[in-house]
This record gives sequence, C-alpha cells and structure tokens, in this order.
Amino acid sequence: MSTPTPEVYEQGKGMDAHNKVMREVRSRNDASYDPREPTRVWLDEDNTPDGVYQSLTIILNTGGCRWARAGGCTMCGYVAESVDGGSVAHEDLMAQIQYCLDHEDEEADEKAGLIKIYTSGSFLDEREVGAETRRAIAETFADRDRIVVESLPDFVDREKVAEFVDAGLETDIAVGLETATDRVRRDCVNKYFDFSDFEDAAAQAQAAGGGVKAYLLMKPPFLTESEAIEDMQRSVRKCADVEGCHTVSMNPCNVQRYTMVEELFHDQGYRPPWLWSVCEVLESTADEDVIVVSDPVGHGSDRGPHNCGECDDRAQRAIKDFDLRQDPSVFEQVTCDCAATWNAVVEREASYSLPLAR
Amino acid sequence: MTDYFEVHERDGAARLAELRLADPVTTPAVVDDHLADAGSLWPTERDVPAGDESVLTVLPHRGLPGGTPEEVAEAFAVDYPDVDYPSAAVVSTATAEDHGADAYVLSEAAGLVGHAEAFVEAVIETREAIPDDTALMLSGVATPRNVATLVYAGVDLVDRDRAVVRGTQGRYLTTDDAYFLEDLDELPCSCPACRKPREEFDRQDCVDHNVNALEAELARVRRRIRDGRLRDYVEGQARQDQWLTATMRRLDQQYAYLERHTPIYRREEITAATEDTMRRVEIQRFAQRVTERYRPRFDEQPLVIVPCSARKPYSDSQSHEQYHRAIQFRGHMASMTSPIGVVPQELELTYPAQHYDSVVTGRWSANEIEFVADVLEGYLDGTDYPEVIVHVPGEGYREICERVEERLDQSFTYTVEDHPTTADSLANLAGALEGYPKYRKRERQHNTLRAVADYQFGAGAGDEIFGDTLTAEGTYPQLRAHGERTDGGQGEQLAALTQQYGVLGLTIAGARRWVDSDVSVKRVAIDDFVPHGSVLAPGVVDAADEIRVGDEVVIEGPSAFGVGRATMPGPAMDEATRGIACQVRHVEEQ
Repeated sequence: MSTPTPEVYEQGKGMDAHNKVMREVRSRNDASYDPREPTRVWLDEDNTPDGVYQSLTIILNTGGCRWARAGGCTMCGYVAESVDGGSVAHEDLMAQIQYCLDHEDEEADEKAGLIKIYTSGSFLDEREVGAETRRAIAETFADRDRIVVESLPDFVDREKVAEFVDAGLETDIAVGLETATDRVRRDCVNKYFDFSDFEDAAAQAQAAGGGVKAYLLMKPPFLTESEAIEDMQRSVRKCADVEGCHTVSMNPCNVQRYTMVEELFHDQGYRPPWLWSVCEVLESTADEDVIVVSDPVGHGSDRGPHNCGECDDRAQRAIKDFDLRQDPSVFEQVTCDCAATWNAVVEREASYSLPLAR
Repeated sequence: MTDYFEVHERDGAARLAELRLADPVTTPAVVDDHLADAGSLWPTERDVPAGDESVLTVLPHRGLPGGTPEEVAEAFAVDYPDVDYPSAAVVSTATAEDHGADAYVLSEAAGLVGHAEAFVEAVIETREAIPDDTALMLSGVATPRNVATLVYAGVDLVDRDRAVVRGTQGRYLTTDDAYFLEDLDELPCSCPACRKPREEFDRQDCVDHNVNALEAELARVRRRIRDGRLRDYVEGQARQDQWLTATMRRLDQQYAYLERHTPIYRREEITAATEDTMRRVEIQRFAQRVTERYRPRFDEQPLVIVPCSARKPYSDSQSHEQYHRAIQFRGHMASMTSPIGVVPQELELTYPAQHYDSVVTGRWSANEIEFVADVLEGYLDGTDYPEVIVHVPGEGYREICERVEERLDQSFTYTVEDHPTTADSLANLAGALEGYPKYRKRERQHNTLRAVADYQFGAGAGDEIFGDTLTAEGTYPQLRAHGERTDGGQGEQLAALTQQYGVLGLTIAGARRWVDSDVSVKRVAIDDFVPHGSVLAPGVVDAADEIRVGDEVVIEGPSAFGVGRATMPGPAMDEATRGIACQVRHVEEQ
C-alpha cells in the first residue's frame, strides 16, 4: 500500500477561503445602525456559581468584531448589526448604556443583580471599547453583584479584569470558545485561537479574582449530528477541567443572516441541531463539576435548533429548567415519536449525507 | 485503477454493474451492508484504514454539503490515497475528478433531490469528471418513488437512510407517494412487514416496509436495465412526482449526455405511450440521421407518403401490401409515423423503425404534429422528387402534410378519399403514378444497402464505401453487399444487412473500404495482439469519442486489423480498466 497522505490541507488555505467567502457574504448586507442604541437588551434569569440571578443582558454596539471584518466565523451574523464606519465614540457607548438602564427601569421591579455585556466582538479589546468607557461602565454597575463581559481570549489580561473585581463585582469573562477541539474551531467555525489560549485567558481572569464562562457552539457547519454531540460532550468535559472556568453555556447553532451557514442552509446543506441533541449533551455531562446551561435561540424554527415541531416547546422548557436546576431528570419528562427519527439521524447521518432529515 | 467496479450493461446513462467485493453486489443497489465509512476529517485527523475486499471503504473525507462555496470546497478538498482494496472517495461537484477510487460519493446529494435543474446539472458534471467505469453514490436520498429516476440519471449506489428516516417519521413510502401512515386505513402492500393487522402496524414496521419497497424497486430497475427498457418505465414512474418528471425532461435537454450512453440498436421494443417518447435519444437520433445523413436515391419516381402500420416491418403489413400493389415500383415509399417521424422504405428495418409500438387513437397532439412536420420538412428539404404524392388519412397525417406543403411552398398530390385502403383511394394512388417508370429490384436492393450505410456511417457513406461496383446478393431482408462480380461468380463480400436491427455488419474487405474512404472511421486502436472473440478494455489504446454501443468499429493494432461491434461507448473504452470493449467479427493478422 502506498503512503497515506489524507492531510494535505494547509492551515492557511482553509482560513483564507473561509474569510474570502465570509467577506463576500457579509458585503451583501447594506443595513446600518444608530450608534446611540444598543443592538439588543433584555431581562432574564441566570444560573451562576452563587445561585440564580435576575439578569440584564446588553448587546452593546461597538462597531463589531475585528475578526469578522477579516471574514470571521462561519455562523456569526452579529457583525451585520454593527455601525457604519467601524467604531463608536465613548459618548455614544455611554448613551447605549443609559438606554439599557432606562429599559431596566421600565420593565423590571428592581435592579438586576447580574449584568451581562456582549459586543459581538471583544469588550476588552480597546479598539472596540476604550479604557475610559470600560472604566465608566465598571463604575456604572458597581452597585450590582455580578458582571459578565465578552471577550476573545487575546484581550483578557489580569489588569482589565481587576478593574471590575476592584469595583466590587463578581466578574466573569465570557469567551466564545465554541469548542474545545482546535480542529473544529479552526476548520468549521473559522476562529483563529487555540484551546490553550482559552486556558491562558482563564488563568489571567482567575489571577485577577474573576472567572471565565465558556460559550460553546453546538453543530457548526460540516459536522454530523453525532459528531456535534460528541464534540460538545468532549468540550464540556475539557472546560470543566480548566481552572477558573466555572460555567459553560452550550448553545446550538442557528442560521443567521449574511453568514456561510445561511449559504449552506439555503442550499439544503445545513440543519441546526436537534433539541434532543442539546438535551443529550446536558444530560450526559450533568455529573461534570461545572455549571452547564444552554439557551437555544429560535428554537422550533427551521433556522433554529428544532425537533419535529410537536415537542419543541416541551424540549425547550426542559432545557431552561435544567439551566436553573442542573437536574438531568428534567429530560425524562419529555418524550416524542420524533426521538426515533433523531436516533436514526444520530446513527446514520454521515459527512456525505448532510443533512439526513430536516 | 478501477479494479472493483465493472459495468456490464448500459441503458442510457443507467448501468447494470458489479461491485466486485468478496461477495459481489449487482448494482444499482443499496449498499449499506457493504460500506465501511472511515469517517470525516472535519472533526479529527484519521489514518487510512487497513481495508479489505469484503467491503467498500469510504476513505477519510471531508463532506461538502449543498451550498458549500467553491473556494471553501477547493481549500478543504482531500487528496485521496491510493489503496489496494475497494474504496470510495467523497466529492462535491467542485472537487469531483479521478481520485483513483472505485466509487464516488456526491456529498451535496441532500440539497439536490427535489430540484431537477440542480440535480441534473450536478449528476452530469460529476459523471463527466469521474471515470466512466466507477460507481456514483448518493447517500441519504433514495426512496421507492425516486430511485428509478436517480438510476436513470446515472446513479449506481444508494442507501437505506432516507427510507428509514421517513419511516420513523410515520411516512409510508411507495413507488407513487409518501403517505402519512395515520391516513392509511389499509396498507397498499403485502411485503413481509405489511403482513400484519393494520392496527398493529407501527412506525418500526413502516421503516421495514420502506426498506422493502426501496429494494423491490431497485430489483425492478435492475431488470429494466438488463432489458434495455428503463426509459419506458421512467416515462411512467417519473409522473409520480413533479421533480422526477422535470428531471427526466431536463435530461432529455442534455442530449449529448444521454446520447453518448444510448446504444445504436436494441432488441427490445420502445413503448411510445407518452409525449416524452418523442424526446428519447433513439427517436431524436433516427430523425436526425434521416434528415441529415440519409438521401433518397430514387430520382425518377415520385415520393409516396403513406401512414405507418402497426405491424413491423411495415412491408409485412396488409395495408402496405395494398399500397405496394397500387404503386407497382413506380414510387418511393416513406411512412409517416408518430413518434418516429418519417421512415423511408430502405430504413424500415433499421432500429427503432421496427422496434416501437405506439398508442393509436387517431388523435394527434400538437407536439406530435409539430415534430413529424419538422422531420418531414427536413426530409424533403433539398430532395428532388418529380412529385410528392400524399396517401394518408385525414386526421393528423394530412394536417402535417399541408403544413409542410405550405412551409416549402410546394404542391402535393392527395390521393385519399376517406381511408387509404379503400378501393377508391388505392385507385387514385395508382392513377397518380401513371406514367412514372418502374424501378428495378436490383436498384431497390442497392439503394437499401447504400441508405443503411449512409444512416449508419455518415452522409455519403453508401457511395463512398460501396463505390459504383456494388452488387447485392441474397433476398430482402437478408441482403448482402458484394463487390464487382467476377467471372467465377459473386464478388467479394463487403457487408451483410441484419434483418433484426437493419444495420450493416462489415467484412474485413468492407472495413478496409471504410478505412480507405473519406467517411469518418470509428476506430479502436489496440495494443500489439491479435484479438479473438472480443477486445477487453485494458487492451484499448485509443478509441474514437463518437463510438456508441452497437456501433460498427474498426479494430486496429500493430499486428491486427479487424472489424466488430462496440459494447462500450468510445470514452468508456479509453477509461475502463475492465470489461469487454468490443466484439470482434473478423480479424486478420498484419
């Protein structure tokens, strides 16, 4: 037999191709947004190491992710929601924060204990959010218990995290790790960092007295349902072993506009994961020493994680219930005939028959 | 090298073949039980598996599903290793090429079924990019309803996945539909899974039934390919779903793809039961050759257009016997027929002129009228008959002739009062021919041999190959072409007309005439050996692209000159590593 050379693929080549395609796909979006309004804001409940909190979640419009401008992640459409020109002034960002506080005043009886700030990029990247703004925001929320800010691992350093810890906040850095498998992160998601960078970021956060929350992506493009499940099970376990990583938020991929995933979806080459798969991962990793939550966006729709249409709401409720209680027995309550279809898909779907069922 | 897949029979783009595993599998077939998937390279690196001859190993791959941008497909394309066991490579339309595998799995399949245009385009693109004697597999898409059309398009291998998944969803699959199980108060099947009371029949039974139905349909499809009758089946079966009908019609628009794989003649009859029959390669090819290659050689007699008969060849029918008695060798007869168009008397034996049976109601559709009118116009254009006598009944036939008459600005003579075989009509026909000279039997025999040569080898071949010293021996329809008579008697034999298909089989002398003529020669260049009986594909050095199954071919190598009949299309002879390329009729050492 001749020498096997299955791996001729060069690392740079795949990423170049992904970026080229993503730039082209994104360029079709010509919407622009008001820099004085956040992308989104909402109130919810969240499970933290200190128990369940009322939360105020803010998607800050910072001009978007630098990586996305180079092309970026195959599933991420949030860049499409960024402002023209690419950067947002301090005054405008603070106006966005005020907008969120007003929203909270109107909608909630009391102030949320937990503040979560995402930027669809990196809150700790000073090209997105300057030091002045970062410190002002830390001060604004100093009266709360806990804060979560989103960042790529590159920008997580001890000093920046310490600003929040020193303001008296339990501080978590939310890192879009997506998967603990470097190969999947690189080739399927098109994200450039490695798991070791995440471990370093966790160490930095921990040294400052904070922690990290890993965001995992279930079923990026090109994976089968069973590969996606295995990837998540392995990723949860690996995250649980990282010092300073106390929470994993495992989120099923959905089909966002102006993304490569949407291109695949449009040509019947992608199906978001089954909610059964989410349940399976949560249930099978419940014994890990880490909080695992999931917030399926767009559940029950073709573009979001879904089962058969009959049981989606029930499955979603079980998942949300698990988020708050971490009790795997919640999944025993949900059954549906479509579990047989899901089983057949898990057993049979191959990389060359994606997707086997809608 | 394709060592583990061999095509045995071709019916259009469909093939009956053998997956040569330790236990061989006749394809098209479901191959779930014969497949070992070495896995995807997306989540992890993988070693090339050890593999063995008991299974078809899908080599480590990156599936590229529907919608994968071309740059991404190319950047992530896998270089497949050379292995010495049966192997399959996963490709997309962007990455399909000869990877040295025995089979190719097209990874966009799920996005193609249901979309005729995309499906046809992808299958043709892939089939043309991979060697002819390799299998094309579509995974996760086959159902009892669509599998005949998938195979008809050129797919060899499928699996049970779709049938199983639909069963779990409570969809009861048949060749005509995907029923909701809950809506069926009785089961329209008696396969083993269905032989139980309806109320006990659950979704697992439904899975079992779906798989049975798929496998039964594949068995039927294999039978149809063996018989050369898949197209007739698909014309009906594809009606069960719009996209399948659209697929068949779009394939008809890809004439070159289908034509290349369609034999020059077959044993079996064509059932002309739908309008789509007119678009078949066999019909289109006949019309094209009659209008472009054939030329009438009776120049002193008028053309007499008569209706076709149910009995074939036409001259055996009672009606044609009556026309013949009225004509008395004073006219050149051509039969008008749907769906063939126009059949000059010399080609009445030539496939498919005596190999079709149509549904006769006397009502012609607009498409039939248009098609036959086009062929008649093409036939008449450039001919120099002293007169065109039309001896056809009213419905359809007459309308066509009048249309052509107007288009060509000619004036035809009509001889039928009410029906062509009435005494009055036949008397009119005889009357119209009065004064025209009779042609001689020998002239008719020569013209027949030359006409078939034109049809078979190309315009002018009848004169080029047989020259002006042609003599005919034997009695029609068992005619032989010979060279000039010698003192001792018959001249050297050049060819024989086969009664069954109306084509010529050449002798060595005939083949030498062909090679020496200006007519394009279908040549199979072979290695240095003298073939007996047949030439196997590995012995072929180069084969003309235009060679079709059933074509007469010249077989030539450093030490042999022969003539025979192709059993593979030319490009397949070039690419195949197994199988019989052509049958040798005569060979000489040289």
